Amino acid sequence: MLQVKDVQKSFGHFQAIIRANLDVRRGEIVAVIGPNGAGKSTLFKIISGHLKPDRGKILFRDRDITSLEPHQICRQGVSLSYQIVNVFSRLTVFENVQVSVLSRLGKAFDFFTPAKGLAIDETEKILDSVGLGNVGDRICGALSHGEQKVLEIAIALGSNPELLILDEPTAGMAQEETSATIKLLERLNHEGLTILFCEHDIELVFSFANRIMVMQQGVSIIQGPPHQVRENREVREAYLGGA
Amino acid sequence: MDFSSTISASGLIQQFLIGLSRSTILFIVSSGLSLVLGVLRIPNVAHGSLYMLGAFLCYSIATLVGAGSTGFWVGLALAPFCVAFVSLVVERALFSRLYDREHLMLLLFTFALMLLCRDAVKMIWGSEYRSLAPPEALQGSLSAFGMMFPKYNLFLLSLGPVVAIGLWFLTHKTKIGKIARAAAVDRDMVGAVGINVSWVFASVFVIGCFLAGLGGALVAPTQNINQGMDHTLIMEAFLIVIIGGLGNVWGALLGALIFGLTDSMGILVWPQFSIVFPYAVVVIALIFRPKGLLKATW
Amino acid sequence: MVEAKGYFKIRTVALLSILLVVLAVAPSFLPRFFTYLLALALLTGLLSTSLNLALGFGGMYQFHHAVFYGIGAYGVSLMLMKTSLPPVTGFILGPILSAILALIMGIICIRLSKLYFGMLQLSLGSLVWVVIFRWYSFTGGDDGLHGVPIPSLIATVTGSYYFTLIVTVCCMAILYMIVNSPYGRILQAIRDNPERSASIGVRVRAHQLVALVIAGFFAGIAGILFVSVEGSAFPDLLSWTLSLELIIMCLFGGWFTFFGPMLGSAIMVGLRTLVGGYTEYWTLVLAIILMLLIYFLPEGVLGYFQGLGANPKNTSAEDR
Repeated sequence: MLQVKDVQKSFGHFQAIIRANLDVRRGEIVAVIGPNGAGKSTLFKIISGHLKPDRGKILFRDRDITSLEPHQICRQGVSLSYQIVNVFSRLTVFENVQVSVLSRLGKAFDFFTPAKGLAIDETEKILDSVGLGNVGDRICGALSHGEQKVLEIAIALGSNPELLILDEPTAGMAQEETSATIKLLERLNHEGLTILFCEHDIELVFSFANRIMVMQQGVSIIQGPPHQVRENREVREAYLGGA
Repeated sequence: MDFSSTISASGLIQQFLIGLSRSTILFIVSSGLSLVLGVLRIPNVAHGSLYMLGAFLCYSIATLVGAGSTGFWVGLALAPFCVAFVSLVVERALFSRLYDREHLMLLLFTFALMLLCRDAVKMIWGSEYRSLAPPEALQGSLSAFGMMFPKYNLFLLSLGPVVAIGLWFLTHKTKIGKIARAAAVDRDMVGAVGINVSWVFASVFVIGCFLAGLGGALVAPTQNINQGMDHTLIMEAFLIVIIGGLGNVWGALLGALIFGLTDSMGILVWPQFSIVFPYAVVVIALIFRPKGLLKATW
Repeated sequence: MVEAKGYFKIRTVALLSILLVVLAVAPSFLPRFFTYLLALALLTGLLSTSLNLALGFGGMYQFHHAVFYGIGAYGVSLMLMKTSLPPVTGFILGPILSAILALIMGIICIRLSKLYFGMLQLSLGSLVWVVIFRWYSFTGGDDGLHGVPIPSLIATVTGSYYFTLIVTVCCMAILYMIVNSPYGRILQAIRDNPERSASIGVRVRAHQLVALVIAGFFAGIAGILFVSVEGSAFPDLLSWTLSLELIIMCLFGGWFTFFGPMLGSAIMVGLRTLVGGYTEYWTLVLAIILMLLIYFLPEGVLGYFQGLGANPKNTSAEDR
């Protein structure tokens, strides 16, 4: 469904991504792992259109989306949830998700309908499904870190994506929050959502992902099912430290 | 609308000279503004008021000291320091507490300062016009190549490069200048290595205001000293800083030259709209290079 | 969890209607000067509310909003003085001119953000100001245009007051709807986080540009109201000082509230007249007020209104 082909990106003299290849098939859960600075976040931002690659191509459903703007890529069905908490801090939790739904429904230039009455059911359904149903009228700046990370996912779901990209979805979460989030993602995947994520917690990745791509110093060195990646000598040396 | 004035070569050169000396004043004032904008990231709206304060102080000190041209020299020497002192007090007492606020708040604070200055000047000096004669040594004109050059303008011209080189030396060769330039790019990092950023900001602010006061004191003998003089100047200084690139001293020089010269040469072309030329040039330049002609510090 | 579809809470509706009734009968028991002042407060309120659409709800540093106000005023004045077209066309054309100018300036500025946006807008605005200031033969230069032939129906103090009241109320209603529409919601989302907005499919630049045009249009309407009240237009209407004062009004009432700027303007217009009666140092008083606001109220005002809740429209009682 998503293909990243020989993408390269540098900032000034710093080569963030030298050569990255990635292949995500429909219905999969794909993880990208690699040490800090390997270029994972950069890769995700290139896929979502916030950064433009110097070279290489991104195909989504066999369509070249390399040169599209972020909002156009979102409309193709790719949604990104951020590593750092990146929500609409002065809106309520409900409004955070509602805005996303409204944008998808093409209501962005609707000037005269009261927003209060629009897309309520759908927004509440999303909030309930991620477990934020009871804090909808809170200002989202007042939520805990874990809740804001979940809200991140909810905002991304608001645009009803086919492919959900998560940049360290459980970073900074407590143990219970992490397992709840994983359950949520597994359920979403079960309902047909394709998920691409990156994560530091290796155990989590190996237990959760269908396939894993390993990045190191801007190069994607291998992609395959967990057992294959675990056995790869290069990965063991480079990343797992012989574990 | 006087189109009949024949544009002779000597008229052209004279107009050019007037433009250059105007540019010098503009450069001195706007380099201060640029410095503050570059490091503190605050559009100091009160900058023009400090310029006005400099002019009034120079006038008052000069009349107080009296004794012919000594008065002027004492005024010119002291007024910028008085302005700098005022700004130091304001910065330490009020402004420094606001640095972590939103930019808009800081802008509005300097606006309050500008309003304060305006009424303070009205209270102290009243609303009539003042004028100050240049010192005897700089009165009259030099004649060369069959043209007359006002001595005071030549004096201003010679000061421009001095200030430019002094500023360059300050920002590139001294420790405080280097710290300030680092703080302009990444203030957190400068704070993290144990430098008191607050005092860096204070010194930059005070130096910037000193330059405003210096510009005001220098301009005092060339025009009427009045209450409205802050008004047009701050606008022009802003445009110069924007067109030059925020925080870039050479940018301020370039901007001041563009502004002063288009203004003075514009008079020859279309007197009624001469003031429009510099604005138009700035806007056209900004449409193509919205962040200024030279590199901004941030 | 979410309230019914209506715009207002009942308490707000009641207060607004009482206020409207008071405003409607005010001229019959107020001295002429106060009627005039009230009209001025209303149109200034409309002006600062339009600014707040860009500033408070759009998060764009609109530093030179007064330009659109002035262009609206000059537009209608010139139409009434120099052409023989029916007056109505002038009153319609003024705001449209403002909107066009806002579109042009917006297209140029929108590439930049925050402080850079504000400074570029400032430069463009001052170009407009200097042209009007200098073009004696057309705009009257620094004297401005006086004795604009206002249609007789709204030429009296009471007439212009009611004209201002009706237009202001209509415009405020429209602006209120815009702020609370899906468009307005998304605008606020962009204010909070432009990058994130783009990744949920919002065309950020286009969205912001529309807000600038709307703000310019309503500022133009405030401009034509000014002409109908004052019968003149002058370059000070486009001055940067006025633009900054408008920002103060927004700050005073609260940036993230709908009725805040209107309240702020009313207080400022009233205070200026009140203080002006005692001392010639109004700017000094304004400076002190502003400093007090910055030190003690901005966290207070903003925090207070934020604390009031997610819905900026549920602002306090004294909405005007």
